[in-house]
Amino acid sequence: MTASAPAKRFRDLGSKAVPYLLIAPVVIYYILFWIRPVLITLIESFRTAAGAFTFQNYVMVFTDPDFMPALRNTAIIVIFSVTLEFLGALFLALIINRKFFGSSIFLFIAMIPMALPAVAVGAMWLTGFTAHGWINSLLYHLGIIAEGAKIYWLAGSEWKLLILIIIIDAWQVIPSVMIILLAGLQNIPEETIEAGYVFGGDYITVLRKITVPLLGPTIQTAIILRLISAIQIWLIIVLLVGFSRMPVLVERIVYYHEEVPGLDISFQMASGYTIIVSVIVSLAALLYLRVSGAFGGKKEAA
Amino acid sequence: MTTKIKRQFKLSRLISKTIFYLLITTLAVTIILPAFFLVTLSFLSTREAYSYPLPLLPSLKAEYSLTYGERGYLLSVYDNFDQEYQTVLDTSELDKISVYMKSQISTPYSISKLEDRIAELENGPEDIVYFRARKNLWLNYDTFFKITRDAVPALLRSFQIAGLTILVSLSIGGMAGYAFARYIFPGRDALKFSVLFVRMFPGIAIALPMVIILANMGFYDKPVGLVLVYSVGSIALTIWITASIFMGIPESLEEAAQVFGATKFQTFLRITFPLALPGLAAAAMYAFLGAWNETVSAIILTQFNPTFPVVVYQALLGAVGNVNLAAAGGLVMAVPSLIFTFFIRRYIQQMWGGVTI
Repeated sequence: MTASAPAKRFRDLGSKAVPYLLIAPVVIYYILFWIRPVLITLIESFRTAAGAFTFQNYVMVFTDPDFMPALRNTAIIVIFSVTLEFLGALFLALIINRKFFGSSIFLFIAMIPMALPAVAVGAMWLTGFTAHGWINSLLYHLGIIAEGAKIYWLAGSEWKLLILIIIIDAWQVIPSVMIILLAGLQNIPEETIEAGYVFGGDYITVLRKITVPLLGPTIQTAIILRLISAIQIWLIIVLLVGFSRMPVLVERIVYYHEEVPGLDISFQMASGYTIIVSVIVSLAALLYLRVSGAFGGKKEAA
Repeated sequence: MTTKIKRQFKLSRLISKTIFYLLITTLAVTIILPAFFLVTLSFLSTREAYSYPLPLLPSLKAEYSLTYGERGYLLSVYDNFDQEYQTVLDTSELDKISVYMKSQISTPYSISKLEDRIAELENGPEDIVYFRARKNLWLNYDTFFKITRDAVPALLRSFQIAGLTILVSLSIGGMAGYAFARYIFPGRDALKFSVLFVRMFPGIAIALPMVIILANMGFYDKPVGLVLVYSVGSIALTIWITASIFMGIPESLEEAAQVFGATKFQTFLRITFPLALPGLAAAAMYAFLGAWNETVSAIILTQFNPTFPVVVYQALLGAVGNVNLAAAGGLVMAVPSLIFTFFIRRYIQQMWGGVTI
């Protein structure tokens, strides 16, 4: 090749620029539509309606009578549903972990709850849990309850509602976590498990010392991703019992933005709650990225 | 092995297999049951939907009896649960009867047909006539779109938004995915990390300030505004998917094409792109699902031009009046999601960790 030196340098520079040119649109897009809105919320959460700097918004959020219940309810849902869902999914995955006739249909069925739009899921359970809904009807048809003995699912204490929400969430999530864990189980070489038995381990020992540790990364991925979405639960609660009956963090944001938009403090309250949710979710996300090795760049993240 | 032991072994295997399939079936039924009832409910007439206990399956027809009443004619309908005719209407106005049969029992019945029945009643030997009417199973769907403000435009809007989101995220995200797969450059890891982080960041935290940004741009309450918001998450996911697709296409193929004189761009168009097409389709369907199912941002960022999930959400919030209609709306929402999920089920399994069974 007899290209002159400057031309060659220019060409080298050109090919070095290619990846940056390919990436530039994403970077610009994220600066405009991700970083900018997030910064705006952050700034707004520290400003009064008149525009002066203040901590007052956070004081207002923290002293909001619904703040502690919202935090508590969110925490309860996150802790119990993630634990229950993980244990249930692991149990099922361990049993199902084999090839069987109809397995591909079964896997598709297991995907359905996660694939359904939130409003469709809401429609299902709303029509189920009303007193004359399909759950009571089914119990009647199965002979479990008498005709007059309807169960009033949605009436009663917050605890009852929390349990219902956790059950609904479990229905939606366990199948998909099960699929994730099945995938992890399949990646464990059979010889490893067999070796455990050869050296005299029983089922429980092999499970505890070999299967679960090898499944570790998969379990971490599943749990933290679940954690992130469990923190943001709200729509099903509002569809079942309406706003303010059982406050959770994201429900408060929508409440201040949609239900009482006229108040002087509405936007400030919504921004405050938004930042709190964002901080909690970001911490969970950072935890995820850390355990999945995205920081070190050694492993492919997820 | 002796035959006896063999037989015992076979028997215990049969039992364990039976238990296994029993478990699988129970699980599948539990998963499907709520969906099954949603489908049933969407096909029930208003009268059925408010009866208790609800029927397990929608009826396909209604049996009526017509006789003389105090005010005119007495219409009774056979109740499958109580197994008797129950009087529902006593009126001399035929149009009232016809409207009732359509709106409450979902059996459209014209006034001229009613006149025929009345003629039978008057000329017949007895003081009562029995007749059947076929139920219009799709009536709830029809009514949902007719009475819900904006349901049809909202549905079109939702498709439009989903389509544009696919376009934006595939073009912007696809380019970045290719760069991540083929080039090593300073800042690559930091960028990849940021993309993952954006994906996990709560959507509502973007939706709220976007009200102001979109209002300034003139996009508030417009489909384009929602496309801009939905693309944030779906670009990240597209980068993730396309990067792994392009990584799976051997670079040697591209090099070979270039040896034969193709330019980089030609190589991409003729070699890489066709090979990546199935994966890109999956990424597109993912973007569709994300935009189609999303409700929170849509509630916040629309006012007079809601998306379809928002319409269903509002119908559900006020559903005390018509559960069967709300069920029909929910199902219209669910069908495209399920179809797309079916098409990309293999990719979902891979995304969730590479299940191959």
